[in-house]
Amino acid sequence: MSDADIGVGGTLVWYYYICLRQVWLISHQITPDADDGNLILGRFIGETSYNREKKELAIGSSKMDVYHFNNGEMVVGEVKKSSKYNQSARMQLAFYLKELHKRGIQARGELRFPQEKKKEEVILDEDTLAEIERVERDILRLVYLQQPPPPVKNRFCKKCAYSEFCWS
Amino acid sequence: MFVILVYDVNVKRVAKVLKTCRRYLHWVQNSVLEGDITEANLKKLKVELMKIIDKEEDSIIIYILRTTKYSARQIVGLNKGGENLFI
Amino acid sequence: MKKTLYIFTNGQFHRKDNTIYFETEQGEKRFIPVEDTGEIMIFGEVDINKRFLEFLSQKEIILHYFSHYGYYMGSFYPREHLNSGYMILRQAEHYIDENKRLSIARLLVEGAGKNILRVLKYYKARDKKVDNSIVTIETLLGTIATCNDIPSLMAIEGNMREAYYKAFDEIIELPDFIFENRTRRPPKNYLNTLISFGNSLLYTICLGEIYRTHLDPRIGFLHTTNFRRFTLNLDIAEIFKPLIVDRVIFSLLGRKMITTDDFERGSEGILMKDRAKRCFIEQMEEKLKTTIKHREIGRAVSYRRLIRLELYKLEKHLMGEKVYEPFIATW
Repeated sequence: MSDADIGVGGTLVWYYYICLRQVWLISHQITPDADDGNLILGRFIGETSYNREKKELAIGSSKMDVYHFNNGEMVVGEVKKSSKYNQSARMQLAFYLKELHKRGIQARGELRFPQEKKKEEVILDEDTLAEIERVERDILRLVYLQQPPPPVKNRFCKKCAYSEFCWS
Repeated sequence: MFVILVYDVNVKRVAKVLKTCRRYLHWVQNSVLEGDITEANLKKLKVELMKIIDKEEDSIIIYILRTTKYSARQIVGLNKGGENLFI
Repeated sequence: MKKTLYIFTNGQFHRKDNTIYFETEQGEKRFIPVEDTGEIMIFGEVDINKRFLEFLSQKEIILHYFSHYGYYMGSFYPREHLNSGYMILRQAEHYIDENKRLSIARLLVEGAGKNILRVLKYYKARDKKVDNSIVTIETLLGTIATCNDIPSLMAIEGNMREAYYKAFDEIIELPDFIFENRTRRPPKNYLNTLISFGNSLLYTICLGEIYRTHLDPRIGFLHTTNFRRFTLNLDIAEIFKPLIVDRVIFSLLGRKMITTDDFERGSEGILMKDRAKRCFIEQMEEKLKTTIKHREIGRAVSYRRLIRLELYKLEKHLMGEKVYEPFIATW
């Protein structure tokens, strides 16, 4: 997952469920503190886990990992550091499934948490689809704001690489 | 935090272990490295080492000190290496 | 926080096994933990090659080099790894628009002045006769708001420093280290040599912090941009000089850690011997590591980190989010 190239991609969907301010900052290439410990670790785990079966697939401005592709069924997924950001991870993957669906590909989603040795399945149903579409519209609205939404303290701030930026 | 890392690994893998450790810590003497390290870097180092060693045969020990304030480091004989602000 | 490595020995830098090592003239090799290195400052005679520089770029390590006399000569500033077109435009906009530039420059001078006052008041409380300087600086601070162009703002800042330096003799009380006048390139006496050396170090440290943000070091606000040199680091250093550099000097001299024996007279003025440079650097590193409690962030923050936070506040000012408030010491 690269922070450099973003439209309304999966990354923004991810951050949408964590912090709206972060969505704005990322979309303006104001990337967070590069020496933040959690960030370094996240990047490292993404780079080094599941290397054998890893194939990257780029669709639009999203990148995802492909795990299997057989009998016409595709399994796509993402590797995450921890399941703490479960909702973000699920919705991000649902977004990818929707993008694939638009292109006529049926796929199943799988979230992987190598450090917790856990997997989770994500399926694109009606409700999820409606929610994704609402979120996409809202992200566009946010991105076009002149200024970022003001910082609001939430449970993610403590480990957020932006926290010093927001609270200085 | 400050760590002291010692390793005892098969000669076949010793060079690789040393090369990896050297990217994160200061070489002190044969099979011993030390230095200040961030939590993230320590995790990275451990993941990298796990991929190199044979868990049935090799052993690496990492002593972790939250601070060096209450410890002393004494050298008997030669001072071969370690952390230093200056070269 | 990644470390700064200071090289005083002559030798060569090499890249090997995904890290770097330094080889002295005697052939002794010292491996450097590249994952934990943020900056390298070179004082000795060091040979480097392109392979080494490429690797520094990849690892986002900046290299600064100093002349034999200890003057800052330049930096190897790897290609920007953090890029935000949005931020560059905001920064340029605040430079080009005279009023926007002036309002940032005013805040910088005000911050520098208030920190100078903080230092003077600390010594006043210790019975040093620094009242005259305090009064002068307080008066000058009052004129900042009505100051309508950069040159006159620079003049105020110059006058504040002059009044401040007048108090140095009173604070230091060492006949060997009297201030006389501020002289640069070359500094003409011992105290001026120390001030120049400390300021150069702080400039490079501020540059290193800017490298880790989305700001462009070439666009300063108080110091006029000439698009060749770095200037934003000079701006930010103004806030911290009294708190970091000057206090290090007072403590080095007060504890007799540096004496007149630590200097040599060269054709280009007075120069510090390596021992004194190292001693200064050690004290400066200690000072940068000192922490203070930061109320908003909710934990202790080092002086080094405070420099970074200053840049974040500046970014938020440029974004139009929050007016920049310079850091003012409260001890």
